[in-house]
Amino acid sequence: MRKIPGSTAETRKAVGFKGVDSLCPYCGVGCALTYRVDGEQTQILDVTGRDGAANSGRLCVKGRYGYDYAMHAQRLTKPLIRREESYPKTALSADVKGERGGKRKAGGIVDYDDVMPHFREATWEEALELVGRKLAGIRDTHGGDALAGFGSAKGSNEEAYLFQKLVRTGFRTNNVDHCTRLCHASSVAALLEGVGSGAVTNVVRDIENADTALLAGCNPTDNHPVAATFIKEAAEKGTKLVIVNTRRPRLADHAAIYLQIHPGTDVALFNGIMHVLIKEDLLDHDFIEQRTEGFDEIRETVEEYTPEVVANLCGVDKDALIEAARLLGADHRSMFFWGMGISQHTHGTDNSRCIIAMAMITGNVGKPGTGLHPLRGQNNVQGASDAGLIPMVYPDYQPVDDPEIQKKFEAYWNTELSPNPGLTVTEIMSGALDGSIKGMYVQGENPFVSDPDTNKVRKGLMALDFLVVQDIFMTETAEFADVILPGSSFMEKLGTYTNTDRRVQIGRPALALPGDARQDWELICEIGKRMGADMAYHSVSEVFDEFVACTTEYQNLSHEVLGRDGKWYPCHDPANSEGERIVFSESFPRPNGKARLVAARQSPPHEKTDAEYPLVLNTGRMLEHWHTGSMTRRSTALHTISPEAFVEINPNDAVSLHVTDGQMVEVRSRRGTIQLKAQLMDRVAEGSVFIPMHFREACANVLTDPAVDPQGKIPSFKYSAVSIVPLSDEARRAGSGS
Amino acid sequence: MSNDTVKLTIDGQATEVPAGTSIWDAARELGIDIPVLCHSTRMRPVGVCRMCVVDTGARNLQASCVRPCEDGMEVDTRSEKVEKHRRMLLEMLLADYPEDSARDAATGDDELLNMARDYGITEVRLRDGASGRPQGVDLSSPVIAVDHQACILCDRCVRGCNELQHNDVITRSGKGYGTRIAFDLNTPMGESTCVSCGECMAVCPTGALTNRALADLKLEPLGSD
Ligand code: SF4
Ligand code: SF4
Ligand code: FES
Repeated sequence: MRKIPGSTAETRKAVGFKGVDSLCPYCGVGCALTYRVDGEQTQILDVTGRDGAANSGRLCVKGRYGYDYAMHAQRLTKPLIRREESYPKTALSADVKGERGGKRKAGGIVDYDDVMPHFREATWEEALELVGRKLAGIRDTHGGDALAGFGSAKGSNEEAYLFQKLVRTGFRTNNVDHCTRLCHASSVAALLEGVGSGAVTNVVRDIENADTALLAGCNPTDNHPVAATFIKEAAEKGTKLVIVNTRRPRLADHAAIYLQIHPGTDVALFNGIMHVLIKEDLLDHDFIEQRTEGFDEIRETVEEYTPEVVANLCGVDKDALIEAARLLGADHRSMFFWGMGISQHTHGTDNSRCIIAMAMITGNVGKPGTGLHPLRGQNNVQGASDAGLIPMVYPDYQPVDDPEIQKKFEAYWNTELSPNPGLTVTEIMSGALDGSIKGMYVQGENPFVSDPDTNKVRKGLMALDFLVVQDIFMTETAEFADVILPGSSFMEKLGTYTNTDRRVQIGRPALALPGDARQDWELICEIGKRMGADMAYHSVSEVFDEFVACTTEYQNLSHEVLGRDGKWYPCHDPANSEGERIVFSESFPRPNGKARLVAARQSPPHEKTDAEYPLVLNTGRMLEHWHTGSMTRRSTALHTISPEAFVEINPNDAVSLHVTDGQMVEVRSRRGTIQLKAQLMDRVAEGSVFIPMHFREACANVLTDPAVDPQGKIPSFKYSAVSIVPLSDEARRAGSGS
Repeated sequence: MSNDTVKLTIDGQATEVPAGTSIWDAARELGIDIPVLCHSTRMRPVGVCRMCVVDTGARNLQASCVRPCEDGMEVDTRSEKVEKHRRMLLEMLLADYPEDSARDAATGDDELLNMARDYGITEVRLRDGASGRPQGVDLSSPVIAVDHQACILCDRCVRGCNELQHNDVITRSGKGYGTRIAFDLNTPMGESTCVSCGECMAVCPTGALTNRALADLKLEPLGSD
């Protein structure tokens, strides 16, 4: 007889653990989870899913295995000041200089050996004094509008609130923005205009009550993976998915209808759908009458968008288009999801306007199984926007150019405020380039990699008189800094985060801060104090209370009320309610309570393809990586699964380009060139190529067109003209040899 | 009594539950814990392991996770017959279980071994069907270690992958003693269409699917603070 199997624990290292209930740091789904950490909180051991409102215990690869970046040896742990001999400022590492042929290390992260010698360690007092003095000096000499700040949608609501307060009351300008500008600014512009609120009207999981769901320009299995599991679940139980995307998303396998439209023809398609809805009378007349205005303009505009015309223009089957309209019509409960394939265009606001109109004329807002849901990207892009990290609005979308509102905030913050709306991300970069912006504070963002037209960004950052970067790693952007402040990672923070569903949840510190790194919220206040702003707080929850008190949407919420599981905002009765899943059942938060329908016409793309640049470049994200890669490329698991950059090319195009699978190619646009591996994939349509944005050594944004949408000011990351040439082995060796 | 509910007793306690409620759920409402291996409250019950059997007075023991309550039923969840069955089942499952379980060693939550301990099983009387790991180990995934020998074919990972995450990667393949879980058409996990969500690893009750990050560690809970 043998003993029952035991364990081989003797050979293992014993470690005591405790659990910290917190959140995933990555995407807008906002999965709740528990970090198991050692007693000293120096190491996260593993992650288990919690029964959160958005995830019910489910996680994706990033949430479950992507936490180790926070423990990476390259964390910044001391304040750094640029050495005198490292002026005049330039980029420091070969990739950031834009040199080809520099030595390139595996892993694709900033080469510390190249960069660190240009900085010296400083005390906190020296570094903060310098930052305060330099920024205040620029403000006092050139005026507040010569300063600008980029906050972060990765930070908490409290940090976002403090950051915009610092810029508005300390810098004395409204030049404060963040990556929402690169993500859903156009959606928010259309929503504020049409509905009076920038947030979703219903939560993802209510798709279980929908007959039909439109998913346009989004790729949830990669970008909102756990939300995708609930979408697939609904599809399995009978919800019909209508999917619109130029690049076939995996979700198309579960779709009733997949429309692979030509890039940039979204408005035509949606107008075509509305044409059918009107012609076949699939409208909710009562809803149109009582809850909306502007329907006549829609009717007139879409008249010419017949299924024949649209099918031809968009490159889709006419009957599929008609069938899609029938599935979305007023006799069905329909939900409308969209992503950056909609927003990141020069006509991004028009795209969103059309989606809003489709939902409204079919009466599909404010009831179970209906609603508008722009899928928010960052874990806290909803909250950072709510907290006023936007140049035109104070917290809760209160316009800075409304004198009444300005007065209210002047009283609230006890200081004078600028009446002028500030500049957006791309405008600030142009300002740096033309000298009107002289000083910047970048907290937790990496515009060098994330913003369009890298060569322009490089020049802009180099031209700044003073740049302070607060981050957890040496980023590409930090190479241009005068001072670098080591901040806190998500894993070290206490704060609230608002997910794509408007669920406000608390993230709790799992790790102790490494070295001399400090809490981001404290550093914002320290700089504020040195610039004469009133920013003394005892705790994070006190900051939250101050934020809540100047909003309507967050009323009744506090750290105590949010507790372990959080609440949806608005929440009228936190003692007895989880908050509102569905909003606008009765009226919309606009002056007359009605939604405003705004018609749009199909417009040509800003940049045109031609004989020299015949292909359309689409950029985006992939499951295992996050934005500029500073986190995920330092995660062992994520980096192992997905180590390198690639460009997806349709196999038919590959034949005419003489490109084979796995071959190195050069991609060229009117702004620059990059070299990376070709991946032949039939999910990209002929004539289009796709490059993920995460890989700095083949930075997609070297290629992108910086043209922006007129309302949302969002760049058109989804449409740039490029060409591709295969690299011979020789050319490649010459290009990458040192 | 309404048509929509049924009345029964479980371990002598009377209860009334909506028609269609499983015996397992009804017992849980009463605070009675029936041991399970294949069942999880997060997933559809499938009734494949038969660890949750109870005595309803019928000729055969009934798997409580799938058996609906009936009017007038008298359920015994811990009768001698039931306990004997469970003990035998555990011994059979343990007969070819590997000497070491990565889950037991790392996090101590190997449900099969813990249940054996609960039942006071210290030795397996049955002949070991396998010495070593003839079913194989698959370390092709960078995040999940697969020890096919520790798999008890409870189907939790299959449901976790297909019905929770809807990734449709895991199935069963083979027959008889050669039955095993398989990724896609029986390819190594790391080469399959697996997206490394880790759901299968999270729901697996044994040492079959475990977290590679914990391969050298033994986690011991600290007192709560
Ligand atoms: S779905 Fe988003 S929030 Fe959830 S685990 Fe994945 S990245 Fe994190
Ligand atoms: S880790 Fe892979 S096999 Fe396991 S549930 Fe997720 S997708 Fe399926
Ligand atoms: S738990 Fe009921 S049969 Fe497995």
